[in-house]
Amino acid sequence: VVPGETALAFYKAKNPTDKPVIGISTYNVIPFEAGQYFNKIQCFCFEEQRLNPQEEVDMPVFFYIDPEFAEDPKMAKVDLITLSYTFFEAKEGLKLPLPGYQ
Amino acid sequence: MSTAMNFGSKSFKPRPPDKGAFPLDHFGECSAFKERFMECLRHSGYESGACRPSAKAYLECRMERQLMANEPLEKLGFKDLIDEKSEGEPEK
Repeated sequence: VVPGETALAFYKAKNPTDKPVIGISTYNVIPFEAGQYFNKIQCFCFEEQRLNPQEEVDMPVFFYIDPEFAEDPKMAKVDLITLSYTFFEAKEGLKLPLPGYQ
Repeated sequence: MSTAMNFGSKSFKPRPPDKGAFPLDHFGECSAFKERFMECLRHSGYESGACRPSAKAYLECRMERQLMANEPLEKLGFKDLIDEKSEGEPEK
């Protein structure tokens, strides 16, 4: 992936239970300092997503790395950025404190 | 398992996506396009740049099926691929 160039990535999620699951996901970027350069244009995260029993779905993320990444001396040794998602089961009545996104 | 909940000196602030969330493709309407994109990545040694036409096709599939808000492709970083097209290059 080249900084500034838009890129597509896929995750896959499966609901192995026999009940529908409503989940919501949040993400993490490693190394931590690279997170500020990671820009998501569109993804499956932050909103509740429903997975039916035994359903398996592809979950796309469309993103780009800020070109300023290449100018940051602290990032000079970073050639691998890992994006991970954690999918939480949404509980009724629970409102996650999503920063500025309602 | 590490999460974003570090109550230490630095706090990671997740930011929402610029254009919101993708609805799930429950019926796999665009799975074929996704497969083509993944095939391309495997063949190119996971060079994202080499597979941008397939990525563009996947997003176009989503837009056609209301699985993504319509957005001019130039704004999604595909301007160079569109310019190529208008110069009469056939799309594979």
